[in-house]
Amino acid sequence: MQQDKNVPQGSATATIAGNAPGKPRGWFRSLDVGSMQQVALVAVCLLLGILMQLYFPRYLSGPNVEVMLTNFVTEGIMALGMTIVMITGGIDISVAATLQFSAIVVAMFLKAGMPVPAAIALALLLAAGVGLLNATLINLFKVHPFIVTLATLLTLRGIDLVITGGTSISGLPKSFTTIGQDRLFGIRISLILFAVLALVIGYALKNHRYLQQAYFIGGNRRAARMSGVKIERFVVFAFVLNALLAGIAGIVVCAQYGAASVSYGQNAELRVIAATAIGGTSFSGGSGTIGGTVLGVLFLAMVYNAFNMTGINTYWQDVAIGVMLLAAVFLGEVLKRRRITR
Amino acid sequence: MAPILEVKNISKSFAGNHVLEEVSFSVEAGKVHALVGENGAGKSTLMNIIGGIHQPNAGQIFLDGQPVAFASPLDAMKSGISLVHQELSLAPNMNLAQNIFLRREPANALGLIDWKKLYAGTWAIFDRLGLDLDPKTLASKLSVSVQQVVEIAKALSFDARVIIMDEPTSALSEKEIERLYGIVDDLTSRGIAIVFISHKLDEVFHVADQISVLRDGHMVGTVNTPETTRDAIIQMMVGRELDAMYPPKSSAVGDTLFAVEGLTRSPYFEDVSFALRKGEILGFAGLVGAGRTEVARAIFGADKIDAGNLTLDGKTVTFSSPRTAIAQGVCYLTEDRKTLGLFLKMPLRANITSASLWRFVSGLGVLRERKIKAETRRYVAEMEIRPPNDELLAINLSGGNQQKTLLAKWLCAQPKVLIVDEPTRGVDVGAKAKIHADLRKMAEAGIGVIVISSELPEVLGLSDRIAVFREGRLTAVLDGEQASQEEVMHYATR
Repeated sequence: MQQDKNVPQGSATATIAGNAPGKPRGWFRSLDVGSMQQVALVAVCLLLGILMQLYFPRYLSGPNVEVMLTNFVTEGIMALGMTIVMITGGIDISVAATLQFSAIVVAMFLKAGMPVPAAIALALLLAAGVGLLNATLINLFKVHPFIVTLATLLTLRGIDLVITGGTSISGLPKSFTTIGQDRLFGIRISLILFAVLALVIGYALKNHRYLQQAYFIGGNRRAARMSGVKIERFVVFAFVLNALLAGIAGIVVCAQYGAASVSYGQNAELRVIAATAIGGTSFSGGSGTIGGTVLGVLFLAMVYNAFNMTGINTYWQDVAIGVMLLAAVFLGEVLKRRRITR
Repeated sequence: MAPILEVKNISKSFAGNHVLEEVSFSVEAGKVHALVGENGAGKSTLMNIIGGIHQPNAGQIFLDGQPVAFASPLDAMKSGISLVHQELSLAPNMNLAQNIFLRREPANALGLIDWKKLYAGTWAIFDRLGLDLDPKTLASKLSVSVQQVVEIAKALSFDARVIIMDEPTSALSEKEIERLYGIVDDLTSRGIAIVFISHKLDEVFHVADQISVLRDGHMVGTVNTPETTRDAIIQMMVGRELDAMYPPKSSAVGDTLFAVEGLTRSPYFEDVSFALRKGEILGFAGLVGAGRTEVARAIFGADKIDAGNLTLDGKTVTFSSPRTAIAQGVCYLTEDRKTLGLFLKMPLRANITSASLWRFVSGLGVLRERKIKAETRRYVAEMEIRPPNDELLAINLSGGNQQKTLLAKWLCAQPKVLIVDEPTRGVDVGAKAKIHADLRKMAEAGIGVIVISSELPEVLGLSDRIAVFREGRLTAVLDGEQASQEEVMHYATR
């Protein structure tokens, strides 16, 4: 009988074991597309680090690395939730508005004399409420998450302006600003918080049976439903978690500056989505990892910091990020195609 | 012997439309029960009710004599009834173990997955099926046929006692179908009951112990396979006798209309040469993957070619894109009507004119609605598209009527050469006969028709000559009047 060597794309019938027999492959080529992208990203980060270090010996010094990472800690925290949302095939562009909202309400609660833990808890509850609202609208009206969260974004920005009157709120208690400004074992508390969140969420996404459903929802929605996955409920979980993380990011940024302002988090949602996509999370859902996202955030942080250090007009930062995002998407597509046609 | 599963007087309607009326049906342990019927007869609805996807309006399902009701597919699976869908339902970036045990992963109290147990469980199931597969392989790395086997493995992991297979062979090659038969034999020998839904009667007769026929939502009858014939089943399906299955062959074949010489696109096909004469139907026979579709796509300008010449009406032509091919009268009707053929969410009218809009524009590029309407209505009537309304969305039609629409689309482009790829795949018997007759009519009208089909009887019944492909090469051109199935298979296989 036939052994088709002329099979159409993607239907290698040759062997049951899946991997078509043929040339022996190097370790890089044996990786899946997402991992390949991450390896490439690590290489680019290393290259950037080495080059910068050669010309600007301060680049990888302790204090500069701290600045580099601290500048992106809020984006990092939000990108964790965004990864899960994007794996399910969704998107949430209201995260930066949620960050702003959470920073403002926590500052207002503190100014009103509320104890720190209570103020934080209440602000997080409100932030989670935003996620619940997003998810409910998405589930109820079957509208694309982009539109729903665009509406939330605009509404929240408006609300923030109304409740602050456009001015910033400062003079917050020291017991609160500690979170954003102090160090534990010589490391900023906000960075430790990010590391812990990334480890826990990353581990759970890989190993927890509930979180694994994200990949099935994004990879084959109909099949997930047939297998008993409660998709609507998971959408609620993903958007609430995402908004909750945005709320945490808002509290971190508020504590960092000791103030809250409507100027916080401008365009941060775009950087968050860019970092997640650069880290290998597919925009159409079904694939992505927290490890990749952390790398994507690290990469953005390094690029922004490099611009500041070289003294090139910082307006070029966004140009660079845009180009890098295109490059990452392009790389991912090229790898995917080579995988299919091989 | 008492049946495992019994369905009694099931009725179901959608939006006032009766899809099933008082249907009863039963399955015995260790037996293969085939369910056949035209498209729209209610097979899928019946299976979806048994599988817990839909709930019946009336009637009862009994499992081992006990009445049961399934609120969800998971409910049905837990009771031992699994559906293996026509469309595959694995998540591509998850490995096989994760796919098989979705929602039932062995986990500790915190919900963290016990990977060792998960993989061991998967190995055990693969062993039972005699599969040489690594549970850690990503689903996307497997071919369609292997994915299907994995779906069956998934059914087994639920300790399924009834496995429903919906058109399981539609994407498989002959060899893979053989393997599927082997698995079916193995399952029945363990006492598992199989419900086998298929359009292909050859398959049904090969594999089934019993055959039930549905027509227009009613159960026409159940027969034991050895006690019936193909013709009898067809008659039950359509409710009338199909006197001539295939239209008569061509009487007058003219000069060469279209010639292909040395066409090559490696690694898909190599050095393919043939000539198509005016008024004839040329069949392309061969196994799935032999390169027939690839040849057609390359001729049509959809794929690049490495070498080769095309001659149309005595003149050398080159098609750099489908657009140039269509403009010169060479058209290709795809085998994949839902993704490459139709605009599912657009009305029939837009679908029918989609490849020939240039015929319907006035000087300034404005569409001439009246001309479009007149012409599309004529096609809807000629092709007997049901319901006869050119404003309906394509997605709302049955498979047979979608296929007729696709045929109308290409007729509307006024082709000189029309290549049709699997023109009757997933189409009911009535529509099939109509499409066969229409293809012959086109040939009579002077269009050169090439029919690619994986159904041997269809190629033999329809073609004046048959070009046989094997592994990317054209191995023989046979006379359609004299060729036999055996002869074609001889050239199609090594």
